Amino acid sequence: MSVSAEPRPVGVDLQENEENRALVEAIEADNEDLNIRHMPGMIRLTKTGQLVINQASVESRLGRPWETHEFQLAIISYFGEFVEWDDDQIVIAWKH
Amino acid sequence: MQFELRTQVIEPKRKTFTNLVERFGDRPASRYEEGSIDIQAVENFHYRPLFSSDKEHYDENWTAFKLTDPYSFTDPRQLYYAPYVQSRAAMNDAFVKTVEYVESRDLLQKLPEGWSSLVGDVLLPLRHWEAGAELVSIEGSRWAWGTTIDQCCTYAAFDRIGHAQNLSRIGIVYAEGHDHALATAKERWLGDPALQGLRRLVEELLAGDDWAKKLLAVDLADRLLYPLMYTHLDEVALSGGAGAYSLFAQHFASWFADQRRWLDHLVKTWLADPTHADSNRAALDDVLAQRWAQIAEAVTDVAAAVDARVAAGAVANVELTTATVATDLGALGLTVPGGK
Amino acid sequence: MTVSPEKPARKLSMKQRYTALTHDLDWTPTYVTEEEIFPFTTFEGIKVHDWSKWEDPFRLTVEAYNKYQAEKDRRLYAVLDGFAQSQGQLGLTEARYMNAMKIFLQGIPIHEYDAHRNFSYLARYANGPGARFAALCQSMDELRHAQTEIHTLSHYNKYFDGMHDWHKWSDRVWYLSVPKSFFEDAMTAGPFEWLIAIGFSFEYLLTNLLFVPFMSGAAFNGDLPTMTFGFSAQSDESRHMTLGLEAIKFMLEQDEDNLPIVQDWLDKWFWRGYRLIALVAGMMDYMLPKRVMSWKEAFELYFEEQMLNGLFKDLEYYGIKPPRHVQWAIDEKEILSHQVYWVLYQYSHAAAFTTTIPDEADQAWLQESYPETWPVFKAAVWDKAQRVQDAGGRYFNPGLPQLCTVCQIPMGFTEPGDPLTQCQRQSVYEGERYDFCSDGCQWIFDREPTKYRQSWLPVHQIYQGNCGGPTLPDVAAWYGLQPGDGAEYLGSPDHQNWLAWHGQAPKED
Repeated sequence: MSVSAEPRPVGVDLQENEENRALVEAIEADNEDLNIRHMPGMIRLTKTGQLVINQASVESRLGRPWETHEFQLAIISYFGEFVEWDDDQIVIAWKH
Repeated sequence: MQFELRTQVIEPKRKTFTNLVERFGDRPASRYEEGSIDIQAVENFHYRPLFSSDKEHYDENWTAFKLTDPYSFTDPRQLYYAPYVQSRAAMNDAFVKTVEYVESRDLLQKLPEGWSSLVGDVLLPLRHWEAGAELVSIEGSRWAWGTTIDQCCTYAAFDRIGHAQNLSRIGIVYAEGHDHALATAKERWLGDPALQGLRRLVEELLAGDDWAKKLLAVDLADRLLYPLMYTHLDEVALSGGAGAYSLFAQHFASWFADQRRWLDHLVKTWLADPTHADSNRAALDDVLAQRWAQIAEAVTDVAAAVDARVAAGAVANVELTTATVATDLGALGLTVPGGK
Repeated sequence: MTVSPEKPARKLSMKQRYTALTHDLDWTPTYVTEEEIFPFTTFEGIKVHDWSKWEDPFRLTVEAYNKYQAEKDRRLYAVLDGFAQSQGQLGLTEARYMNAMKIFLQGIPIHEYDAHRNFSYLARYANGPGARFAALCQSMDELRHAQTEIHTLSHYNKYFDGMHDWHKWSDRVWYLSVPKSFFEDAMTAGPFEWLIAIGFSFEYLLTNLLFVPFMSGAAFNGDLPTMTFGFSAQSDESRHMTLGLEAIKFMLEQDEDNLPIVQDWLDKWFWRGYRLIALVAGMMDYMLPKRVMSWKEAFELYFEEQMLNGLFKDLEYYGIKPPRHVQWAIDEKEILSHQVYWVLYQYSHAAAFTTTIPDEADQAWLQESYPETWPVFKAAVWDKAQRVQDAGGRYFNPGLPQLCTVCQIPMGFTEPGDPLTQCQRQSVYEGERYDFCSDGCQWIFDREPTKYRQSWLPVHQIYQGNCGGPTLPDVAAWYGLQPGDGAEYLGSPDHQNWLAWHGQAPKED
């Protein structure tokens, strides 16, 4: 079976509001070459390869503890796969 | 003093949806009503299920219990999703606080020996009873005719898997952060003679037909088991120096009071139905004839296991509860085997 | 109970803890057989060797679920209450925007509810505890969506027509048999087909097309409750997408014999779902006074880019091919919304929404978004409708449409590459003739004729006398339609109220 070796884009749509600002900033800081698109009420972040959300980055911007579970309050949609969802990190990528 | 409102007042055209006006008259409806009455489709079904050629995918005949109007039953707690998750979030919060309190003071480790063995050998294995009860409850969520009954079954199922998880949490604290006590508890569930009656009961129910008969059988068992494990033992624990047990037990006891509210009301509604009361009573009698003796024996076995560890008068408590429940069922006009 | 004196040093990780709280609750029955407890997981032919391989990356527990869901609903209901108190409906772009929400209320909550009921079926009858618990959470979510949708639109129902009897309409009215037959088709299949139909094809492949542009559109048109509800529901949806993706990968990884079955279901449910959301295409391009993106753009972004160029490259690893008939969908992206809205326009006298000829601003937008196809449709249909209107009339189709046996949309789609020639396909089964709108729908029928011959086709039912009587007023009464629910928007009660609320006199014709 052929497997495409080329890295493909993955992405996530988040609600754009005050509560999610630190989260968006953390994602921007931790993911180089991030593409950002604003739509009414939402923000779309896409990137080729993999997209990482680090608990420590979010917490440092938020100034309070942030569980990775809380990502569920912000997310509208995504494409790719959650290849990792742990206490300290969430990673979205294609597996194959 | 009167204010003159300058804002334009816009009169609403209607107070709520037409089906609710037809049912309750021209008055505003509650969010419970708007979200729970007449939600399930009732007619013009397109295809027969591939897994069932004799019933529709929504069909009154998935159980012997019937209501002339399925919405003659409404949840006395008026729970729709939002208040449900909010009330359960508060309950969970209280439970977590108990866990943290017990954990921070090593209260489970300080239990008297008999109580410690009761927790490990009897209480923790009941997480599997809860998991089985969840599977029975969720059948009502799929097969019930009408949204109000489905909704109660759904929440009950979610509550019970929550109990199974909370009992597991107790097990993790009991083993000081590890899962070996849970492994031992599962072995007990699978092999300890004291627990086989309950396990056999739930396995047989899961393999059988008629979701509502099964739900009632689980409830009959709960009506003996919960008063024993979470009310009677709560009191004995307080006087027996097992405060940690009591702290946990209260959460399950208060849930059971909540659970009784909708189940008792459902049984009453079934037995008062203008056309199906007799067949509903017969179906309930069936459940009692088939399962009552088995249930009483299964819970008595659990009680004996309790008494073997703590002098709690558990068997005597089950006898007493059995008699009380039998009297209550008899008062509903039901036939309880054994003549109690 | 013995607690070993030398305990392992490390406490449970997030994953071990999750396993202890979910997977480990399961046991193998001995008093009855596993087949007796799980009777529905063999007849479809899917082979599963190890249910413990089912992964749930979210690792939710009941405690976390209740906590986060309570917080989401607290936020949502605060918005709903504030909107109602402040008469927020006055701040919508226009009253005709409500038509999109009318179709939404009539066609969606009841099927979110179906999804709730059938995820409970999975939560009961899947053999593995991981799959069961993920399905249970989704069952809860779907109930949430049904109720929050009704509660979100409840306030509008008090001020606008076309919403008050959604329950009856969902079971009876012709265009609502499109979503009804779709979900009933999935519910009457087995558990694995359901997972591919709804969990994967609908939730992962297509739901973004339904919700994301729509909710962003709600935000753009002053509909704060729908936007808030929609984004809140979508946060659950990302869990559902994950379940759908896990389901298809699980089946493909368990046994290679599952591949052809899964591919067939994927082919079927892609086309079923794509035809269903054709209604959304019409709503997006024609019913929103202010638009975020066109159907074509949404299709390119959410389907072609994300799914065909992303997901299907991933699934190629397992031998999965892009859905059969996907090229037909791509070829239709420039014409789909035009065709659907024209159907809605000419039959809206028998519907619970109103329609109107695209106004000048709409036409400019359509011209810009569809430079190739809009002029063709404008000349073919809208110029005529405009002439009828200019003469003081309103064009309604006086007949009953022929419906596709599978998707149940009136036959109004066209041959590939020829936007003006209606496509019609036929199959004969046991001496009866069945009609279809496309190769996709015909292929679906030919796979399972014994299922689709059972379709409750609204137009057939009217002819057979099962819908209140032979005339339009008879049928409208049986549907429960009241004056103002349907027909032309301009001059409708909603339109007149809107003008009055905003201090404008109703237009004189």
